[in-house]
Amino acid sequence: MNAWTVVLAAGFGSYLFRMSMIGAPGWIHLPARLDDSAALVAPSAFAALAATSIAGSVLGAGVPQAFVPLAAAAVAVVAVIRTGSTYAAVLAGMPTLWILTALTTA
Amino acid sequence: MISYRAYRRDFVGGMRAMVPWLIGVAPFGLVIGVSAAQADIPTLAGWLTGPTIFAGSAQIATIQMLDAGAAPYAVIVTAMVINLRLILYSGAMATYWRGTPLWWRLLGGYLLIDPSFVVGVERYDRESDRRRGHAHYLGGAVVLWVCWLAVMAVGATAGARLPNGLRLEFLIPLFLIGEIVPKLRQVATRRAVLAAAAVAVACLSVPMHLGIAIGIVAGIAAGARTRPKAIKQEAVSTEEGHR
Repeated sequence: MNAWTVVLAAGFGSYLFRMSMIGAPGWIHLPARLDDSAALVAPSAFAALAATSIAGSVLGAGVPQAFVPLAAAAVAVVAVIRTGSTYAAVLAGMPTLWILTALTTA
Repeated sequence: MISYRAYRRDFVGGMRAMVPWLIGVAPFGLVIGVSAAQADIPTLAGWLTGPTIFAGSAQIATIQMLDAGAAPYAVIVTAMVINLRLILYSGAMATYWRGTPLWWRLLGGYLLIDPSFVVGVERYDRESDRRRGHAHYLGGAVVLWVCWLAVMAVGATAGARLPNGLRLEFLIPLFLIGEIVPKLRQVATRRAVLAAAAVAVACLSVPMHLGIAIGIVAGIAAGARTRPKAIKQEAVSTEEGHR
């Protein structure tokens, strides 16, 4: 299965989810517990994706370079807390990454 | 039957109601486009996640996992876990769309995602005439779809021209950090985030890159366990605030 097939399959599955209740008989209802958990899906997914991506960068690097992604992530967290803006993470994190990468590889 | 003029007015109203969402999601679409261009998959395949999956977080997971060489089934399972919420949206919209033509439900369902859901429901709740609500939903959903695919295309085009030395693959984790941190004030979300991150990292060596899906499920479970208590606490503090 190549990338194209995976993308199409994930798209088809997503469409089935979208149509699942729209096309279902009116007497079928979802459990309330599922409704409560829905708000937790996105933060959990974002955390799992970000953590594995950063961990991958750390594990694949040598000793000084391994700290660079961690430092960039830490700066991003602090920037968002200090400014309250979600975009501060990218605006502060990427320059930190570039500067520290330049310093550790020089 | 509503007049063409009234339909057009409600359609445009839906487009206007979507504008704040467009400002919010456009950078997300740009980042996904850039990551599609930088990933080790055909750029067009990465962009195709837009019209097919049409859900930012599941698109990111799909592109990242394909780039990392994850097993196809693990990628599909992860995208499906992330998109489980679409079943809830589908359930909510089913009540408004009962009795509509099949073509409408097929199209409306395809365009159903967080912003179109919120913009649509907000109008359906205020409007007694469902047909006007349908026009409003469609206006918002169509403009979202067009803009989403356009900003992804811009990101993919720009991303393909930028040098690898910029380490743009790190844009996504940073962007996700920006999305997560403001939500950490809520107890249930904080526990979900910590559990998801810890379990996903602990499961890095799990075959087929299933660690991400396992982490997501662990996060939802950890958050859901604390949720009723957190809601109760919030209710108590609100009552105290009113006194």
